[in-house]
Amino acid sequence: MVNAVETRGLGKVYQLDVLKGRKRVVALDGLDLTIPAGHVLGVLGPNGAGKSTTIKLLLNLIRPTSGSALIFGRPPSEAEARRDVGYLPENPAPYEYLSGAEFVTLAAQLSGLKGAECRRRVDEVLGQVQMTSFAGVQIRRYSKGMTQRIALAQALVARPRLLILDEPTSGLDVLGRQLIREIVLSEKQRGTSILLCSHIIPDVEALSEDVAILVGGKLVRAGPVSELLSQQDAEAELVFEGLSHETLDGLRARVLQTGRRVVLRCPAAAAQDVILRCLGQKATLISMQPIRLTLEDTFLEALKAQGQKVGSVIE
Amino acid sequence: MNGIVPIALNGFREARRNRVTLVIFVFALVMVLTVTVSVEFTVATFDRVMTDVGLGVIGLIMPALALFLSTGLIPREIERRTIFMLVARPVSRSAFVIGRYVGNLMTVGFLLLVMALLFIAQLEFSHLTSAFGGGLHVAHLVALYGQLLEVILLTAVAFAFATVSSQYVSSLVATCLYFIGHMAEDLFQLSERSKVLPLKALGKALYYVLPNFDRLDFKDRATYFDPTSASELLGATAYTVAYTVLMLVVATAIFERRDFK
Repeated sequence: MVNAVETRGLGKVYQLDVLKGRKRVVALDGLDLTIPAGHVLGVLGPNGAGKSTTIKLLLNLIRPTSGSALIFGRPPSEAEARRDVGYLPENPAPYEYLSGAEFVTLAAQLSGLKGAECRRRVDEVLGQVQMTSFAGVQIRRYSKGMTQRIALAQALVARPRLLILDEPTSGLDVLGRQLIREIVLSEKQRGTSILLCSHIIPDVEALSEDVAILVGGKLVRAGPVSELLSQQDAEAELVFEGLSHETLDGLRARVLQTGRRVVLRCPAAAAQDVILRCLGQKATLISMQPIRLTLEDTFLEALKAQGQKVGSVIE
Repeated sequence: MNGIVPIALNGFREARRNRVTLVIFVFALVMVLTVTVSVEFTVATFDRVMTDVGLGVIGLIMPALALFLSTGLIPREIERRTIFMLVARPVSRSAFVIGRYVGNLMTVGFLLLVMALLFIAQLEFSHLTSAFGGGLHVAHLVALYGQLLEVILLTAVAFAFATVSSQYVSSLVATCLYFIGHMAEDLFQLSERSKVLPLKALGKALYYVLPNFDRLDFKDRATYFDPTSASELLGATAYTVAYTVLMLVVATAIFERRDFK
């Protein structure tokens, strides 16, 4: 089966200061990425890591300076390649003079839907994003959350095989976030491939099967979420009472809190040794808790490994 | 070329809901209505005064409106990022540019039609109700047709510049081209008389390269009810179509290569 997205050595360099011709911003550098059909890929990265650049390259909003990208086997520059793509941009800006229903109808028409089928799909997606009662209101009167829902509706209206969601839950309240998560899950169950960029790591962890971490325009980690999490050393958190400062010095553990109660964190493999040594010093073990590593830990570790780069590389 | 019709119809709807367009439209209608009033201050040649005032008002407002609408459209789409959700659809960029152009043309064409009908109604009304005026003459229709050709060409020129620059730059350049284009024949005559060879060449080059709006202006003939030959009208039409197509080809070629950051 053909992959939903496939990029090989994809790169984008912006020229700054064209007259001097010296400064170059490497927004994306040699990205190799594959989203098999029906998979959900979460893309993480700090600001300026190249997430939005990747999306724009996949949608032909910008042109690559190196490498190539394919959507269901076709280059994004072909209009037909984008027929199966639904796109929700970060901070979506729909035409404010249109009502929600008019805007979604325009999107449906541009995707080739006509007549009764078009009207039926528009009604369906407006219901799906719970905007039916506001469908006739001009978008200029919408709140941010309502605009986000209408933008999601236009992305879904043509039943895309690939959904590209850039920060879909940003600026939404709890209910809005929950709704969007439910919609993404239902699309996932329908077999839609999804590329999900978000700063909200728990969302990415909950919705994605695979994760790619971009830092400074480069792909630094990629793989199934479970695999990335298992690559990290498990840790344990230990709480003691009556532990002297002298004992702490020789332990293979990080001290998180001192005082009457001392909180330590150490590799799970070293926990037994730490406990035995502390108990030998007449300390009392209050609790021991294995630390469940999250995607956030993986992300932060990847950032640290890259020197916590924020923004693109300027040459 | 999927998407041209929905984009064009949406452009027309956008203009209808734009308050600035509506205000200019109402102002234009009021101005056209002053044709009747102008006769009250005239002692003779009522036909000419009505024609001059009516066509003059239309000839002032229509290019201004065409420039205002066409130079701002694409830069505004890019600046506000409304373009993202459109060009990410299975719509080619050339279809987007052409759709936007057609939508703009529908707007200015509709406004021109309403103003023209109001002008004609006044001509006929004054002809029927008073001793003033000889009513509608074919020269009036020719002048209005020339006005239509002018806005078609001006919109295309403005569009081509709007695809590469900001609204301010494109409106400045297009306005300059509009005025230079109305002096095209004078430029040619001047270059013919010049004894400095580079100036002569420059004058001729400008005449042939820049849009020749002078060629589409039949208002003077309407004032004196001078006839215009069919071949001249056909030539003006062919010139407008050819230049417009060229401008749209340039606009789409530039737009195809643009990055939307």
